[in-house]
Amino acid sequence: MPTLIKGKEGQWNCNPDTEEVDWTNVDTFDAGKPLMLKCDDEPDAGMTAASLIGVEFPAFNDGRALSLAVLLRTRFGFSGDLRAIGEVHEDILHYMVRCGFTSFQLSPDRNPETALGVLTPYSGCYQGSVVDPDPAFRRLSRGSVNS
Amino acid sequence: MYQYDNFDRQFVQERVEHYRAQTQRYLDGKLSEEEFLQLRLRNGLYVQRLAPMLRVAVPYGTLSSQQLHKLAEIARRYDRGYGHLSTRQNVQFNWPELEEVPDILEALASVDMHAIQTSGNCIRNVTTDEFAGAARDETIDPRPYCELIRQWSTNHPEFDWLPRKFKIAVTGAAEDRAAIAVHDIGIRVYRDDSGTPSFDIYAGGGLGRTPVIGAAICTGLPVKHLLTYLESCMRVYNRYGRRDNKYKARIKILVRAMSPEGFREKVEADWVHVKDGPGTVTDEEIQRLESAFTEPPFESLEEATDNLQNQRVAHPGFSRWLAQNVGLHKQSGYAVVTLSTKVTGIPPGDVSDEQMDVVADWADEYSFGELRISHEQNFVLPHVPQASLFELWERAEAAGLGAANKGLLTDMICCPGGDYCSLANAKSIPVAEAIQRKFDDYDFLHDLGDLDINISGCMNACGHHHVGHIGILGVDKKGDEFYQISLGGHSGHSGTTASLGQIVGPSFAREEVPEIIDRIIGVYLDNRVETVNGEAESFLDCFKRTGIEPYKERVYANADKR
Repeated sequence: MPTLIKGKEGQWNCNPDTEEVDWTNVDTFDAGKPLMLKCDDEPDAGMTAASLIGVEFPAFNDGRALSLAVLLRTRFGFSGDLRAIGEVHEDILHYMVRCGFTSFQLSPDRNPETALGVLTPYSGCYQGSVVDPDPAFRRLSRGSVNS
Repeated sequence: MYQYDNFDRQFVQERVEHYRAQTQRYLDGKLSEEEFLQLRLRNGLYVQRLAPMLRVAVPYGTLSSQQLHKLAEIARRYDRGYGHLSTRQNVQFNWPELEEVPDILEALASVDMHAIQTSGNCIRNVTTDEFAGAARDETIDPRPYCELIRQWSTNHPEFDWLPRKFKIAVTGAAEDRAAIAVHDIGIRVYRDDSGTPSFDIYAGGGLGRTPVIGAAICTGLPVKHLLTYLESCMRVYNRYGRRDNKYKARIKILVRAMSPEGFREKVEADWVHVKDGPGTVTDEEIQRLESAFTEPPFESLEEATDNLQNQRVAHPGFSRWLAQNVGLHKQSGYAVVTLSTKVTGIPPGDVSDEQMDVVADWADEYSFGELRISHEQNFVLPHVPQASLFELWERAEAAGLGAANKGLLTDMICCPGGDYCSLANAKSIPVAEAIQRKFDDYDFLHDLGDLDINISGCMNACGHHHVGHIGILGVDKKGDEFYQISLGGHSGHSGTTASLGQIVGPSFAREEVPEIIDRIIGVYLDNRVETVNGEAESFLDCFKRTGIEPYKERVYANADKR
């Protein structure tokens, strides 16, 4: 059984994925239903009415779903749970977090403990992101070095 | 030079620890070969034909003497006492142990260096003019904007898993020494009428198996919008670039499929949403980066014309070196010096640990502790007082770095080829050496003038063969190594528009190549005319005038007897 990693009040938890989600796709979707997107689907404003959006990673090194997540969050203002599904690999999680994913259906062959340990390997990043829209040059007073 | 602040240091340190843990998981069997491949590539580590290769990032080709000493130390301790200057202005080590790479990265971090995103399908090291901040024809130093792009593109959450690798080059001079026309994105920075930095963006250029000259998609972009505009370009590429076929995955294929206008429209449609958003660069950040690249404390010196003239008369070797390898500096009394690595018998771009150490010492003595790596795979000392040129030349000669061949036939660009690279169809280093051996007469080479020979061991075109005046490409013919020759390419330097070479015809066996080059040069010498200012017509101009026919005729004459 895959593992579901979810954020709650600043804490990440992982549990066996026992949620039985009745996914719809772009053709069968209605407001209030969970919506499953392929990484090359075009996002639109109507999707923000979904109770949950899943985005499928067809391969762990395919970055299209990252851009799709950014668009759903920043362009269309989706504020519900955004879930990474498919080939979800622990080493991509930190990118996914910053692109606005809030839960992860980890592939069955991945180790959940390892995944929890690599969710946020960096204390700071140069660019803005969905999580923190300001780049380092707006967040920090840059240029001071304690040698 | 840009100096790391605490934020940069902490990030690079955390990256080392992140990669160390990933390496350990691989060694413990918890990451497959394919999974670890993607991670190690983003930290500079290839596994090549014989051993791993580590590509160290030299951001926009600028290095400090302290950093070069560290590279020399790494070459001694972790490699076989040498390194390789690459066509992307980086430094490569050919013999590191996979298990030791985290330690090498730790050593690099100690001098504010890293190997992040030097390979893999992500935004690669930004390149620029190797004479940036020194050249007399420069209108604006591009490096602050390169550093801005470097930071923005490092560990980008959305753009680290692109369809294919992505290369950005920036130029700020009249002569485009950064070859911006053949990059995924090329950027020209200049001052507009009010003196404000302004940017023209070109997209979809590239070499590889489908060479394309990039198209202008945006002109006159103010610096504050640079990152949001690039963000939109990357988003369009990340979403719509092909992923089904790696040979059609570069942005050039997407731009061609959409047409440059169609691509521009897509980018603009995305950009309206991010323009003026938080990604807009602040004045403070621009000032911070610009102030990192202020001029070194130049002394007020006279042009050393008479003295140099006397030294030239007394030492013909120095005279040739001065004419060929020493360029005009924007500061009176100074010069820009290219130290050539192209010596017969040494693979182009290879330098020993001792050479790295002496070049670092010369950078301290003659060039304010600063040096460059050029995409032609040479070292550059950007700020040398003219009065020190003779002394530097004598020392460079003694260290095997004094060849007076910058821009000449023997200053070949050459990828590591089949001797090292597992992608290569054919060897390239022995071809370069055979050509250097055939053409070893300095006077003849100088008489030929500027002639770019670029050699790639395969279609991936790391040796930029498409833009060589003479391009040589290694191809596989039923398991044997052959070489296809193209003519008339140009990377866009010397004020000439970039162009792609035309293939002469059927390919040649390796041992035939020097003779074929000789025939090509023969056609040029027979056809070249005197220009209006009394100089000999260049190889490229002559080729453009005559076309490829006379070359075809001579190259394939008596083909049955070859």
